[in-house]
Amino acid sequence: MQSNHWKKFITACIAVLGIVIGWQLVEPQQASADEPTYTFATNNTFEPFEIQDSKGGYSGKNPGIEIEILKKIAKHEHFKYELKPMSFNGDLQALESGQVDAVIAGMSVTDERKQKYDFSTPYYTDGVMMAVAKNSKITSMKQLKGKTVSAKSGTSAALFLKKNQKKYGYKIKYFDSSNTMWNDVKIGNTAATFDDGPVLQYGIKEGVPLKIVTKKPIDAQPVAVGFQKGKNLELQKKINDGIEWLNKTGQMKQIIDKYTKGNKTAKNSAADRTIMGLLKTNRAALLRGLWMTIELTIVGIIFAMIFGIILGVLGIMNNKLAKGVSSVLIYIFRGIPMIVLAFFIYMGLPNVLGHKVPLFLAGVLTLTFDEGAYIGAIVKGGFEAVDKGQWEAARSLGLPYGKALLQVIAPQGFKLMVPSLVNQFIITLKDTSILSAIGVMELTQTGTVIISQNMEGFKMWLIIGVIYIIIITLLTWLSNYVQKRMA
Amino acid sequence: MDKRYKVQVKDLHKSYGSNEVLKGINLNVKPNEVVCMIGPSGSGKSTFLRCINKLEEPNSGHVYVDGYDIADPQVDINKVRQNIGMVFQHFNLFPNMTVLQNITLAPVQLGKMSKEEAKKAAYHYLDLVGLREKADANPSKLSGGQQQRVAIARALAMKPDVMLFDEPTSALDPEMVGDVLEVMKNLAKQGMTMIVVTHEMGFAKQVADRVVFFHDGDIREQGTPEEVFDHPQHEDTKNFLDKVLNV
Ligand SMILES: Nc1ncnc2c1ncn2[C@@H]1O[C@H](COP(=O)(O)OP(=O)(O)OP(=O)(O)O)[C@@H](O)[C@H]1O
Ligand SMILES: [Mg+2]
Repeated sequence: MQSNHWKKFITACIAVLGIVIGWQLVEPQQASADEPTYTFATNNTFEPFEIQDSKGGYSGKNPGIEIEILKKIAKHEHFKYELKPMSFNGDLQALESGQVDAVIAGMSVTDERKQKYDFSTPYYTDGVMMAVAKNSKITSMKQLKGKTVSAKSGTSAALFLKKNQKKYGYKIKYFDSSNTMWNDVKIGNTAATFDDGPVLQYGIKEGVPLKIVTKKPIDAQPVAVGFQKGKNLELQKKINDGIEWLNKTGQMKQIIDKYTKGNKTAKNSAADRTIMGLLKTNRAALLRGLWMTIELTIVGIIFAMIFGIILGVLGIMNNKLAKGVSSVLIYIFRGIPMIVLAFFIYMGLPNVLGHKVPLFLAGVLTLTFDEGAYIGAIVKGGFEAVDKGQWEAARSLGLPYGKALLQVIAPQGFKLMVPSLVNQFIITLKDTSILSAIGVMELTQTGTVIISQNMEGFKMWLIIGVIYIIIITLLTWLSNYVQKRMA
Repeated sequence: MDKRYKVQVKDLHKSYGSNEVLKGINLNVKPNEVVCMIGPSGSGKSTFLRCINKLEEPNSGHVYVDGYDIADPQVDINKVRQNIGMVFQHFNLFPNMTVLQNITLAPVQLGKMSKEEAKKAAYHYLDLVGLREKADANPSKLSGGQQQRVAIARALAMKPDVMLFDEPTSALDPEMVGDVLEVMKNLAKQGMTMIVVTHEMGFAKQVADRVVFFHDGDIREQGTPEEVFDHPQHEDTKNFLDKVLNV
């Protein structure tokens, strides 16, 4: 590569960096006016409490009980809100770290939780129910000895199972979303699942092939909005006032009945359930998810390359401090599982920084550090693999270190690195799916949301798997093309 | 430092760990002088040569080139190196560039010449080594002898006033050696100051103004080619010459 190619490449990188940072800075500031805005963590697959539309938002006609309640209260009490859909565990972590102001996620009020959080007035009573496959012979908990049962981690069902494990002698398997958990029962991996009654009822009404075997909800508990203990008292009051108003005016009952009685929320069950049909119905959502995956991959790769090149260059310098910094950073970021890094950046960092980290930025940072560390190791190895004689020839001509590196060593090193880098780019693309854990609406998360609505796990994951294969193939072709042109 | 000398080395010491490779070397090289260094393998010839342009950092002592002490941290070593051409045993051409780019890289990057000037100069030096027609070839397409001649042209393009050669012909097939030595002879004739580590005793006899015999990290003996080859004073020198001349 010639020097002006390098300059172009670096200029392009800086331009992208500028655009992304600019965009990230501008975006969160668009909140307006004098009404305060609160952030609520919520559950992304928790019908009938929350029902995401195909865009991952809640602007459909039937967004779920809690969303409708919140909408009404916000209007009545004059505040704005922003929703962060995550897994229930993510919700709790987000609340603890102050990333959100409250959790509205079908959260049942337990004694244990009362010690940790403040709760609003309950608006619903929820109990755990046990469900088994439609053709199962199990009817009571006594038949569960030695069998595997499931619950969503962090839920009251999980607490219940833990408490009674000795008594009944089952094994517990934890899941993050109802849908995957139910599917596990359907295919026979787990004998029974324990989930919130209304959630199960709603799912079965929507066509999940399970049956409920408990007569009365176990461990019935009130459901309420959770807050950080002793904080956000103003919001707590607004929510409580709002609930009282909804109860008084009978609107609360109306909303709840809409989702648990009759057939008002039923989606067009006659919809085309073939793969082509599913593709057609979910085309917009899938494209949006795909685009987010591509965006994350491209921006992630660019920043990971910048970070990786910096790490690689530091790693080969004749300077102990630089070398040390490089290898420590590579060691740390390669050592931390990416999902932990994502949680740390999205939920841990705000505690230190004092303000929230936008979701997309958190995703890009996660990719930058994690993939960048791997790229750093590749770059370092590639530079080191260039014959030492090349350094000596370049330096003996009087070229300073930087020029020798840029003009002589780097082009040869990169050529050696290309296969490993291409491999790392493909891994980066696949790793974007890990970011679904913090709620980034990329392809995998889109799949989770769609499946939570149509229960077509097998076909949808098949579609999504094929989409990944296609974009990975395209990326590989592109890399091979670039590789050939460089040779 | 003495203004009469192009290169002046004073009490140069170099160790690798506990292995003392150079044990206090003193050597003065006058302008236009051709010094050939001979000696057994491992005696420190390469290390000495590489200390002159600071590819190796000496432990103590001084090396003055054109009056600049390379050990002095105030001295810009990159500037000094521009005046010291070096030719390696394994050529070390840049494989990611053409022959022409190999030669023009440093003069252009270091602002010594414009691209056009550098190209002209490159053709001039390629003429000198007889490889004009290979200007656009990739180094890997050249024979070893041709590669080494390009490497010499590359070093010359910086217009150095000292040239260091570290066994420039020992990686070559025998039939290639002559061409490279011929180029070096011409350089010597034109008055280039040269320090040449070599096993080519014929070349040393014919071209050297002075032959320096290295042994065990020290200069054991030096003098004109006649003195060293025909009347060696030292036992070590005699042994060495016996071995290399009577194979
Ligand atoms: N980078 C290094 N690290 C440790 N020891 C080294 C290093 N370079 C050279 N040496 C040692 O220094 C001594 C002198 O090596 P040098 O290469 O200068 O010898 P030489 O006279 O050039 O030999 P040859 O004729 O084989 O090229 C040898 O013992 C060698 O093993
Ligand atoms: Mg040597």
